[in-house]
Order: sequence, then C-alpha cells, then structure tokens
Amino acid sequence: MSVLPQTENHVPPESATVASHRQTVSIWNRLAGYVQDWGAAILIALFGLVAWELSVRLFDVQEWLLPPVSKILSELIADPPLFISNGWVTLREILVGFMVSTTFGFVMATGMFWSRLLERSVYPFLIASQTVPVFTLAPLLVIWTGTGMTPKVVIVVLFTFFPITIGLMTGLRSVDADMIAMFRTLGASKWQMFTKLHLPSALPYLFAGLKVAAVVSVIGAVIGEWIGASAGLGWLIKTSGSRYQTDKVFAAIFTLSVMASMMFILISLVQARMLRHYHQSDSEGATN
Amino acid sequence: MSQTSEIPSNVHSRNEDSFSRSSVSANAPSTQSGGIATAPTSTEVPAVSVRNASKSFARSDLPPIEAIDDISLDVALGEFVVIVGPSGCGKSTLLNIIAGLAEPNMGSVSLQGDDDAERIGRVAYMHQIDLLLPWRNVLSNATLGLEIAGIPRADADAKATELAQRFGISDFLNAYPATLSGGMRQRVALLRAVLPDRDVLLLDEPFKALDAITRAELQRWLSDVLDRTNRATVMVTHDVEEALMLGDRVLVMSPRPGRILLELDVDLPRPRPRDVVREPNFVELKWQLLSVLSGESVR
Repeated sequence: MSVLPQTENHVPPESATVASHRQTVSIWNRLAGYVQDWGAAILIALFGLVAWELSVRLFDVQEWLLPPVSKILSELIADPPLFISNGWVTLREILVGFMVSTTFGFVMATGMFWSRLLERSVYPFLIASQTVPVFTLAPLLVIWTGTGMTPKVVIVVLFTFFPITIGLMTGLRSVDADMIAMFRTLGASKWQMFTKLHLPSALPYLFAGLKVAAVVSVIGAVIGEWIGASAGLGWLIKTSGSRYQTDKVFAAIFTLSVMASMMFILISLVQARMLRHYHQSDSEGATN
Repeated sequence: MSQTSEIPSNVHSRNEDSFSRSSVSANAPSTQSGGIATAPTSTEVPAVSVRNASKSFARSDLPPIEAIDDISLDVALGEFVVIVGPSGCGKSTLLNIIAGLAEPNMGSVSLQGDDDAERIGRVAYMHQIDLLLPWRNVLSNATLGLEIAGIPRADADAKATELAQRFGISDFLNAYPATLSGGMRQRVALLRAVLPDRDVLLLDEPFKALDAITRAELQRWLSDVLDRTNRATVMVTHDVEEALMLGDRVLVMSPRPGRILLELDVDLPRPRPRDVVREPNFVELKWQLLSVLSGESVR
C-alpha cells in the first residue's frame, strides 16, 4: 500500500460516503429549487395570459368569441359556488372511477403475472377495449345505466384502467434476472419473491401509469357528462356553450385543468415520498 | 495442510495436454489423475462435490455454446478454493451450477454427498454486483435471507447487528444503499449472503466493480472476516494476486469451454499480510499461474 503514488487521493478507502447532503436544506435553497424547476413554465404561462388579454383588447374581439382573461377571472370570482359544486360532482366521478380502475388494474396485472393462461386470454381484449372510441359508447351507457353517476364512472374507468394495468404489469415483469437469481439462492418462494421483489420493483411503473390515468380521467368524466347530465363541469361547459357564455366555458375549463393538475401533483408527491430511496438522484440532485 | 512448501510438488497437472503446453517447469509429476481434485483434509464427505460436469447453452441457428467441459471439483468444509480464468471461461456457469441455479447437461453435483437434494437455497451466493434492494436500508437488506427463512425479525436484526460490527458497517445500518460507496455495498451484500449460515459460500468476482485501493482493502478484510472453520468457500476471479492472497487452493480454468488446467496448493501461512506479494514463494506461485493463463490465451 505504501507504494501508491497518488497521495492527494487521501480519501480513506471504505469510509462510506453517507450523504452529508441529507441534512436539512434551508428554506431558501428549497425555494430556489422550486423557482428553478417551475420558474420557466410559470413565466411562459404569464406571458401567454398577458398576450391573450392584450390582443383581445387590441383587436377588439367580440366577448362571446373570445373573452379576455380578466373577464374569465371575474366570472370565477363572481360565482365560486357554481364552479365548486359542479367541480365536486366531476371530481367525485373521477375519484370513484379512479379507485375502481386501480383495484381492477391491480387484480388484472397480478393475475396476469401469476397465470400465463390468464394473460393470453385476457390481454388481447384489454388492447381491443382501447381501440373502441369511448365517445361512441357514451350514448349506449346512458341508455343502459341512465344519466346518473354510473355512466360517468364507467367511462372514467374505461379511460384509466389501461395505463394502470399496463404500468403495473410491465413493472412486475421487468425485474432484473440477477435479482431473481439472488432471491432464489436465498431460498425464496414465489410468493415471497412477489411481495418482496416484484411488487416493490413495480412501484415506479405503477406510478407512471397512475399519472397518465390522472390526466385522462378528467377527459373521461367530461365526456360522460357531455352525453347526459344535470351537473358537473362538463355539463356546465356544454350548457354555457350553447348559450354563448364563452367566459363561463373558459372558467369551467380552467377549473378542470386545475383539478387534473392537482391530481397529478398529488400522485407525484406520494410517489416522491414512497420511492424516495429508489434512485440516487432523489437524495442528491441539488448539488449540480 | 502438511505438504512441503516446495512449489513444484504442489502442482498437480489437471490436463496433461495443456499442462505441457504451458511454460511451467513441468518436473512435477501429477499426484492426481482422472481429473478429481481431492481436498487436503478429505476423509469426510466433501461439502461440495462436482463430478464431470459439462454445460452448454443452446442458441437458435448457431452451434451451442459450451460453457464448461468435464469439470470435477471437491471442496471440504473450512477450505477456500479460488478459481481463476480468463473472462467468459464459464466460471460463473460453474458457480450457478453449484448454487443450483442451473443444472449440468452431464455430470453431477452434490452437497454433503447428497446427490439428489435440491441445492437451491442451501448455498450462499454473492454476485459480482451487490444486488441490494434500494427500498430497504442496510439492516433489512442484510437480513433478507433470514426473513425469507422465516426467522423472527428481532432475532434476525440482533444477529445482523452483531455481525455488522465485525463487517465494519454498524454505523450504517439505517442508511439506504444509494448513499453508500461501492465497497460498503459489497460488505452489506456479503453479510446478507453469510447470515443464513450455509455450509457453502460462493463468491463470484466479488470485488470486480471496485477501484484498486478499495479492492486491496476488501481482500484483506474478507480473509479476516470470514469464519473459515465451518464453511467451504469457492471464489471466482480473474485476478491472480487476489487468488493467492485468499485461497488455500487455486484452480486455473481454460477459455471456453472451461476445463481445469492446473491445480495449485497455496502453502502460504495465514494471515497473509499485504507484503506477502514480495515473498519468493508468492512470486513463484503467481508466475506459475500467469504462465498457464497466458499459455492458454495465446492459443
């Protein structure tokens, strides 16, 4: 050892570099991080809104064609209960559909993991279900299940079960062969391997599927309400549109996209929390 | 081991043909014939016994790959055997077969003389890469094998914590793998492998992914830390010095299809300090190994 030439490399070998950056980062650093992450997007959004407002005023566009941003905001502020109550109707459809999809996806993906026969018999139909334009099913669903909550939930499920099922299934399947060999040498049963290796490995894939599902679930709910409903943001958009209340349409769209974004962010936060040890970059990162 | 430290007498030719082709001064008569390596202290049943094992892998549209060819090997409890060979000579295949991850096409493998028993789950195996689960901290990574064996959490944790002291990782039991250096991760991987108390330990180039300094450090550490009295260890490496630092016996394997070309008893006293590499005995053994290895790779 004494003949080693590089003495400046005097890191004691084998003293583990347990991350010193795990100490609490100051609030300001955190804030700076958020600005770095979101600043550009926020700037672009602001720029777009200002450009919208100015061009509508400058070119004197009719309000029923394209209302200025300020008019949309004042619409939101004038009657918050309208958007909150209709938003809640839509949100409930989304949440129920989402839970049904997650349960269904879990059962399906797990079943297909354990049984090749089930996979071979069911998988083609999962794909086929996605080739049918869901919009065309909506009238049928109204005929079969009425105009209540059920058809909306069904449509949300049709939109969301696919990304969740496929995400989880892919995750369960994409476990490193060396890892499986390691578990086998430890004497693990197939069930132990499933719970201790496959399922935890699949979580990142599941979350990717959940994020896609969160975004498309809003579309599903609106389509359901489009066909036949007496409340909900989709219903509000449709009725306001037919009355040329363009500002209300935009306000409802704005509420919808805020809702979808919140769901996306919520899932991302849960993901960051649950998967915080999965990647090195999660505990580092801020250094560069 | 009561053998003389005369080097030539320690050399057993495993394969007359290739042995004579190597540049080792071949005045050593082969003390073994028939290709069976007998453990130095083998009146009892060897912990691991491989008999004439061959393995090839089928490929579509191509001739099959012959990974190993007619390999026989006995390892006794308490013995540390190192297998050296060029990359891709089927060393890992041999370990996989001993571990029960694969079966030979021909030949047989037995643990404690038991030919028919399942081997999988009875052999501790440490891979080239640490294979730590990122979502578990060091302690629960280390106790994975015990957990799988159904040992109560408290007992498993106590056992791991105790051994962690000797492994030099007690300060990091709550850390997650992503925050550990490569050397530390290998220590945790070894702890996980040895905790279930198996008679046989397989090490597949355990220090391959490490830098030279860490590797030297861990080689010394490994020979200190392993309780060798009740365990048969088989390590695979392509590092000749590593083989001589750690092994009681070194086997040289040919390029694919892997055959055992040479068997060498390492009569260097233990513990072997770092400067053992300067001792004439060590240098001579190393030269023999290198000659056989390079003689083969020229072919």
